[in-house]
Amino acid sequence: MTDEIAPAASGVERTKLWDPFLRGFHWLLAVVVVGGWTLGEFGPDVMTLHFWCGYTVAGLLAFRVVWGFIGPRPARFTELISGPRTFWAYARHLFERHPSYWPGHNPMGALAVIAMLAILAAQIGTGLISDPDDFINVGPLASSVASEIRHAAVGWHHLGAIAVLGLIMLHIGFVLFYRLWKHEDLVRPMLSGWKLVRKNSDPH
Amino acid sequence: MRYLIAALVLVSSSSVLGDPIKDAVEARQGYFIMLSTNMHPLSAMAKGELDYDEAAAAMYGSNIEVLSQYTLPMHFPKGSSTGELGKATGAKAKIWTNFEDFNQKFADFQKAAEGAGESVKGGKNNVGPVVQKIGKTCKACHDEYRVKND
Repeated sequence: MTDEIAPAASGVERTKLWDPFLRGFHWLLAVVVVGGWTLGEFGPDVMTLHFWCGYTVAGLLAFRVVWGFIGPRPARFTELISGPRTFWAYARHLFERHPSYWPGHNPMGALAVIAMLAILAAQIGTGLISDPDDFINVGPLASSVASEIRHAAVGWHHLGAIAVLGLIMLHIGFVLFYRLWKHEDLVRPMLSGWKLVRKNSDPH
Repeated sequence: MRYLIAALVLVSSSSVLGDPIKDAVEARQGYFIMLSTNMHPLSAMAKGELDYDEAAAAMYGSNIEVLSQYTLPMHFPKGSSTGELGKATGAKAKIWTNFEDFNQKFADFQKAAEGAGESVKGGKNNVGPVVQKIGKTCKACHDEYRVKND
């Protein structure tokens, strides 16, 4: 475990970046979102499992919001928000063929994280109030909204699914880009928690 | 003279019949309202949101059976999709390029509704499976042939 990410460059150190709860959150979310998405598109007509995936995503999002306030520093929402200057400074170096050694969510990735959390929250919302008129897959809160809303929600939920797929593709695409182009492995740190980052790094 | 009478009859009868497309849309939408008026309480009983009442459940079930025997696809004439009518209908144009499959989907519903009036008798727990069996056929058709963003 240690030698595979031994410091390769000077000014770089190996540090415990992602805490166990955040890593658990990430991988559980990945499983449940992919599972829920697949069940939604191709699963059985009685969508009980899809519903349970949705409830689990809701629980995970609730945890993530709490963790964004009380969790360790790399998990905090304050770390996700950077000014336009930091953003462009990072973007300028994006295509350079060396690792970023960024200590946490980089300013561009942070936007994707925010987008992902927001779109998943929206999916939970539209799913809960959806009424597809099939009497078996009616969202538990559908009866508390107007009939036009609960019927339109089915369409929104569908558009949301396309957006989720797009974000997942973008996410995997960038992880591959970092691995192949920038020679930086982002998957292992999300498994072990350890990452190579700049020394005395301060993301601000 | 004969032609004149024929022409008059044609003109007057078409004004009596009104707009056949509009009638078809209203007829099928009314049908779906009747269907859902009977499905809703059954679904609510299955979930425990409504107290189980055997006589009522049997009535809803039989109503659904009766409705399923009606030839609904006749109210889907060509020219009555969202393509022509916009938001007045939820019927996708692909119904008419797959009309055989569309008919099959309705036949699936008819089969699922068979015996519904009897099957929901004998307790709350008998309602759920009936609602699921029928609901699946609702979903199968909606997924394919009904627009999602109305």
